[in-house]
Amino acid sequence: MATAPHTWLRLVPSCRSYSKATRLHKIDYPWKDEPKPHWVRQFEARRVDADLTPENRDWLRQWRLQRVRDAVASSSEAAAAASPLKEPPAARPLWTPRVSQRCGLVGIKLGILPMWYRNGQKVHTTVVQIPDQRVLRWVPPEDLGNYASLREMRPYRLNQSFLPRWLTQQRWGLQLVGAVPADPANFTAQWCGIFKAAGLPPMRKISRFLVSPDASLQPGACLGLHHFRVGDCVDVVARTVNRGFQGVMERHLMEGGPAAHGSTKFHRKMGSAAGGGGPIYRGKRMPGVMGNRFRAARSLPVLRVNTKHRLLFIKGFTPGPPHSYCQIMDSWMLDVRRSLDANPPPMPTYFAEDAPEGGYPEDVYHPDLLPYDQPLELPD
Amino acid sequence: IQLEMPPAPSAAAGSCALSLGSRFLFGCRVTAAHRFAASPVQPPSPLHQQPHLQPCRQGRRWLRPELRGVYKPRLSPEAMKEFWRLSGIGPDHSRAKAADQQAEVPPEIKRLYQEALPPIVSQDYRDPIVESLHRAEMMRRRRVINIPEFHVGSILAVSVMDKHAPNKVNRFVGLCILRRHTGLFTTFTLRNMVDQVCVQIEYELYSPSIVSIQLLKLERRLDDNLLYLMDAPHSHCTIPFDMVPEPYSRNDPVPVNRERVRLNPPPWMCKWHLHGYQGIDLEHLYSYLSDKDVAKAIEFSKAYKRYDLLDQYLNRVPVPDADYAFKDIFIQHQELLQHQQQQQQSSKKSEVISKLTGTA
Repeated sequence: MATAPHTWLRLVPSCRSYSKATRLHKIDYPWKDEPKPHWVRQFEARRVDADLTPENRDWLRQWRLQRVRDAVASSSEAAAAASPLKEPPAARPLWTPRVSQRCGLVGIKLGILPMWYRNGQKVHTTVVQIPDQRVLRWVPPEDLGNYASLREMRPYRLNQSFLPRWLTQQRWGLQLVGAVPADPANFTAQWCGIFKAAGLPPMRKISRFLVSPDASLQPGACLGLHHFRVGDCVDVVARTVNRGFQGVMERHLMEGGPAAHGSTKFHRKMGSAAGGGGPIYRGKRMPGVMGNRFRAARSLPVLRVNTKHRLLFIKGFTPGPPHSYCQIMDSWMLDVRRSLDANPPPMPTYFAEDAPEGGYPEDVYHPDLLPYDQPLELPD
Repeated sequence: IQLEMPPAPSAAAGSCALSLGSRFLFGCRVTAAHRFAASPVQPPSPLHQQPHLQPCRQGRRWLRPELRGVYKPRLSPEAMKEFWRLSGIGPDHSRAKAADQQAEVPPEIKRLYQEALPPIVSQDYRDPIVESLHRAEMMRRRRVINIPEFHVGSILAVSVMDKHAPNKVNRFVGLCILRRHTGLFTTFTLRNMVDQVCVQIEYELYSPSIVSIQLLKLERRLDDNLLYLMDAPHSHCTIPFDMVPEPYSRNDPVPVNRERVRLNPPPWMCKWHLHGYQGIDLEHLYSYLSDKDVAKAIEFSKAYKRYDLLDQYLNRVPVPDADYAFKDIFIQHQELLQHQQQQQQSSKKSEVISKLTGTA
């Protein structure tokens, strides 16, 4: 019988009084944002082929990279479409309203490009590049309790007063996706072993997505640019810009003190930390490192797709500095989900058979967006 | 290695020659006599005879490099000069010289496409794909509208779509006082007097709501921006709306207007004497200031910035990046000219056809 984690994890009740301060569940703890898998060391700075000449070392490196390229090319959607051993396509799942949640994509945020709508309004678009990525693993909801990252939970997690709903409800499973294949010599054998089971070359980034079982993908499946269509609303989750150690005025928008009028050494301080001689409660807002947390920008429409550089132009601004990873997934907002019921996206992901006749042009624009080589025509 | 006893201290300090082993005693607890017996450093011996690690616990463990004999090969003056020439920074490099280094691209490209340069920000925030997208979209927009070459100090007439205007177009004539940002974010500000009221309008250069940009007078001033005109008499920025455009030639250098503006008496919006403006009448300006402020202004205007390497490094576009951007733009500029020629030919064809059909 599958055991849910909240049954075998003994949640130790807090010894302190169950006051409002301890129940503040909007408090962010730094350990909440650990990249997973944190129990596997990723990079290894070993001196590979140190006893060879530099020329031979370079040749071997190129040979390794070529093997990676071949592995990536053989598992791509183009290869699947061109394969002579075409198996009959497996039955693709249908989009089920209020049930289906597709996998997402790993992206690299590049920068910002301004564009204009056809009514003359300006819109800033975030340019996100979709690198090579493949599906690594599927963890069904029943096995979430046995999944390693939850099993090796740190002791302080046990004192939390609640567990996230995706863990307790078990509607969705975990889809592991690997992105950006790289030279195996950069990584440890343990890290490469994660990809061996799926028959994939090692990759720099592993992300997890919460996916419903009907939209699950098997290891080795290819995720491409056209997984999202122009007009789809997405959620972009990324680590925010690290602003370093900041005081309370910057970090928590506290008032501080007066600049003049006899204020003695009280200009940017916190002031009182607790009331009535009581202890400082857990989660008290204090100076510390600001940023570098996972945040989600919700319900951003995809306005343009560039097939040459594999770019998505997403309206608005996303968290994180340029050249940082981000997770892009179908929006969890209810109005977007209802609109997807009427216009279901490719399930479980985009395949070559979904392409329109003649392929995609280099740039696909949203109908409301004005390309730069067209003049603006305002209606009278 | 055998440690030799140091020689006896002699009266003439600095005359006794140190033997090889006595170097090792510098780090040890030596008596004052040995210290004062130190002579000028001898020429270094080969490294394998002179390890730089001293066999002692207290005191100096590692010999200084000049005593160790580790002399790095010096570059010849010619090599150093070549290095500074290629770097693009240093006291010998002025902005004009840096621009001349990109000799492969014709100079008119640099005048027309000043906003094609990448932004001056830290490398973490720059991306080559995004910059190439900006350049491509800029050239696509230039197929729809003609954006003339203009500088700060030129007079422009800009027509913008306005649904509330009688002809759906709003025309404004003004002096360009500011031109900032790069790529598709480029903006320029025009200033003029309208019904005895100073008006400054900032336009986005690549906004599709701009119908036309007409250059009335091509001119350059001594400064990068003319914000001090806000505290100058209104006669300097009064331009008639029915001004006739003055002809100019692309091959001639841009004429420089070296007039020096006399500002109004203070209070001012900004401390104009602290920004190194050349277009202000400085003697007249200093007459309004106290001696302390004048000294501060003179201190600021000293030409020490050409020796401030970090200022040059941080506030200039790297020469290879600028070179690449202008070459990319040059290729697209030639495609744009071809596109314009094709459009002219097709419009001529359609004119001929319409005439024939009209007469027929």
